[in-house]
Amino acid sequence: MIAIKVKKGYDFKNIAGQPALEAEKPGKPACVAALPEKIPFIKPRLRVEVGDSVKIGSVLFEDRRNPAVRFMSPGGGEIAQINFGPRRIIKEIVIRLAENEAQAEFDALSEKALEQIERDKLVAMLLDGGMWPLIKAFPFRDIADPAAVPPAIFVSLGAKEAFQPAPEVYLNGKKNLFGYGIKILQKLTQNVYAGAAADNPNVLKELRENITHVFKGAYPADDPGVLLYHIKQSSSENRSWYIAGQDVLLLAQFLMTGAYPVERTVAVGGTSAPKKKHFITRIGVPLAHLAPGVNGDVRFTAGGILRGYAASKDGYLGLYETSVTLLPESGEKELFGFARPGFEKPSYSRAFLSFFNTSALPANCNLHGDGRACINCGACAEVCPVDILPQFAFKCVLADEVEESLQHGLLDCVECGLCSYVCPSKVEVCTILKKAKAAYYKETGVK
Amino acid sequence: MRIIQNFFDSQRKHFVKGGKWEKYYPIFEATETFFFFPDHVTRTGPHIRDSLDLKRFMSLVILALMPPLFFGIYNAGCQSNLVSGMSPDFFPAFTRGLSIVMPLIIVSYTVGFFWEFLFAVVRKHSISEGFLVTGLLFPLTLPPTLPLWQAAVGISFGVVIGKEIFGGTGRNFLNPALTGRAFIFFAYPGKMSGDTVWTVMASVKAGAADAFSGATPLAVAAVTDAYGSTEAALTKAGFTFSTLFWGRHPGSIGETSAFLCLIGAILLMLLGIASCRIIIGGVLGVLSAGFLLNLAATENSLPFLSLNPAYHLVMGGFAFGITYMATDPVSAPGMNTAKWVYGFLIGSLTVFIRVLNPAYPEGVMLSILFMNVFAPLLDHIEIKAKLRKRIANV
Ligand code: SF4
Ligand code: SF4
Repeated sequence: MIAIKVKKGYDFKNIAGQPALEAEKPGKPACVAALPEKIPFIKPRLRVEVGDSVKIGSVLFEDRRNPAVRFMSPGGGEIAQINFGPRRIIKEIVIRLAENEAQAEFDALSEKALEQIERDKLVAMLLDGGMWPLIKAFPFRDIADPAAVPPAIFVSLGAKEAFQPAPEVYLNGKKNLFGYGIKILQKLTQNVYAGAAADNPNVLKELRENITHVFKGAYPADDPGVLLYHIKQSSSENRSWYIAGQDVLLLAQFLMTGAYPVERTVAVGGTSAPKKKHFITRIGVPLAHLAPGVNGDVRFTAGGILRGYAASKDGYLGLYETSVTLLPESGEKELFGFARPGFEKPSYSRAFLSFFNTSALPANCNLHGDGRACINCGACAEVCPVDILPQFAFKCVLADEVEESLQHGLLDCVECGLCSYVCPSKVEVCTILKKAKAAYYKETGVK
Repeated sequence: MRIIQNFFDSQRKHFVKGGKWEKYYPIFEATETFFFFPDHVTRTGPHIRDSLDLKRFMSLVILALMPPLFFGIYNAGCQSNLVSGMSPDFFPAFTRGLSIVMPLIIVSYTVGFFWEFLFAVVRKHSISEGFLVTGLLFPLTLPPTLPLWQAAVGISFGVVIGKEIFGGTGRNFLNPALTGRAFIFFAYPGKMSGDTVWTVMASVKAGAADAFSGATPLAVAAVTDAYGSTEAALTKAGFTFSTLFWGRHPGSIGETSAFLCLIGAILLMLLGIASCRIIIGGVLGVLSAGFLLNLAATENSLPFLSLNPAYHLVMGGFAFGITYMATDPVSAPGMNTAKWVYGFLIGSLTVFIRVLNPAYPEGVMLSILFMNVFAPLLDHIEIKAKLRKRIANV
């Protein structure tokens, strides 16, 4: 195991409402859904209609850019609704679950057979079973190109954002499955790297033989992009692939059983969540199923408070998202807010008395200020885990100097959101960089 | 609290789109957000944001300006009462000081805000909190005798030329308060030359104010004629090291007490508002330049060369300038090494200007403005070096 030290980043350990490590199995929801809109870059083509009956693992839609990349139904039953957004974007495909859900059947692959199978065949199996979209490619975080062979695949266990599922919970009792998943990835490329946090000795001990890197550092040290940035030797590694820890389990389960796997461990947290713990539930679950009876001005975020998207209360969890966080919107005005000592105000800076407060502090979705011009305070550069100088990079982007922003390391950005979080001028640095990256991708068509 | 909130809520309709005073929305916004933290919520990820905002940032600078401000008020009154033969006791001195200093501050804020509002309305941007600091910094760098109209001209120049023509806070590369100060320094040298210091003198007839002038410590040091006797000459003129350090001597309103600037500097560094790299770099710059000049000093050279470098830290506006002006993040470099260099050069340039060019005894102002101009270059060099180390990703 190689030790990696990630010097920059920021820990949100002191924010209240973190999910407990205990896991609950809620009952079966009435519906599940697939959310094509939330899968970046794809151009979905529908393969079902309202009223069709589907099995777990039958095709719902495919990517028009490469129809071999298919997306499967996370439930068996009937297509209840297909909801479109503006410009006919497919937002949700809702499946009403049958009592006894039918399973689509795929070939299983024993550990022995896996050793002998050719790479092409394996890729075809994963594409066929709708598992391929779980593998993503740097630097744009699009779905990996099935025709390419990556320099490396990074596995991220993902424990460093406080509101994401803890690896010790979702890996509990699944050590062998995880090992099998790693073997699958090793078929796809020679170098498979898995990083684990040094401050999580249990996980380290459990998975010893499968962990290649141990990192010390704050959020987002767990991000595969951060690991890549810290270990890469040359530009040729920039086009590596990555996959989340939970998705490795899905891959393994799929090949072991020949059935499309839908189990998800979801962390539910945030001060407004009724139960702050882990739930062992399924892909596409309705958010209200995990956080029932929530009223008032509460924001549901799926996929983390830093990187996730705001979902509506009666929305569903997407394919990739594994957390639901409920925070008060807090549209409240506060008299002389700027002059208060702020013993309870979480901050990266030392400008509040909360600096001395070690207890968990409540967070909300207030912007805590207003957008202003960048004052060049440098806070964003202090936290950027991949040593970008966000304050200069975003100015290059706004000035349309693409070349220069690339030199600044635009494509190394892991979209962690820390720069936007700390900015006292409330500049949307992360969003600006993220959009610039996506625009560059679309423009050049490079993969 | 509800009453104030209701007031704003009831007035809002006039200022939003379609209201009769729609154009003046920035003014409404600025006033409202002064009372209330706005209720805006995040629109894109990340969904939570740090509690620190510019208003907080700037109010902490203002907080750190309080010690020099209050002492400056007291000192201006005290010096005035001394030369007018009135009681230098605390209370009369402080009230006298208030009557001298408050008009300057009020003029600075009023005139400055006028320009801020004007540009905000015309350009349709919101009013930046940066001016809260500029508007207070500026009068503190002035001698207490400055006519109010000159202060008004100075702050106008600072805000308009120093900031707004570049596009407002965040895009200016000069410190606006210093730009204003430099402008009146050159435009009205009689009042600001830095050789003499002016103390408000109340003549016996009430209401009429006159001025009394004496040499500043810098001027004393510059004209001493015997080698190695600069400290003695300063002491003779009433400027011992400790007077200079504690600040009970005539001078620009906020700048006389190095001690209180030190308190401000420590506070700002602890709060993480001011860069310790710049401040420490500046102090090191002064000491090394002073020491270098000491080495160069001979019997035949300027006696000022031989002054103990520590004096440079407490004389003139250096302590104030390095604490509150040089650390303005907008006009300072953003990179860490560049900050060290920037601070260091401000310190050493200050000493060189003071000693070698007696026409401008107040060197800190010029050296900060000069380094403001070079800050982007320093950044550029460091960024280039840093980017070269990155593994390319295109
Ligand atoms: S630029 Fe911002 S979003 Fe990107 S990696 Fe750095 S801190 Fe994170
Ligand atoms: S944190 Fe915000 S204000 Fe500070 S340098 Fe970065 S972008 Fe500018």
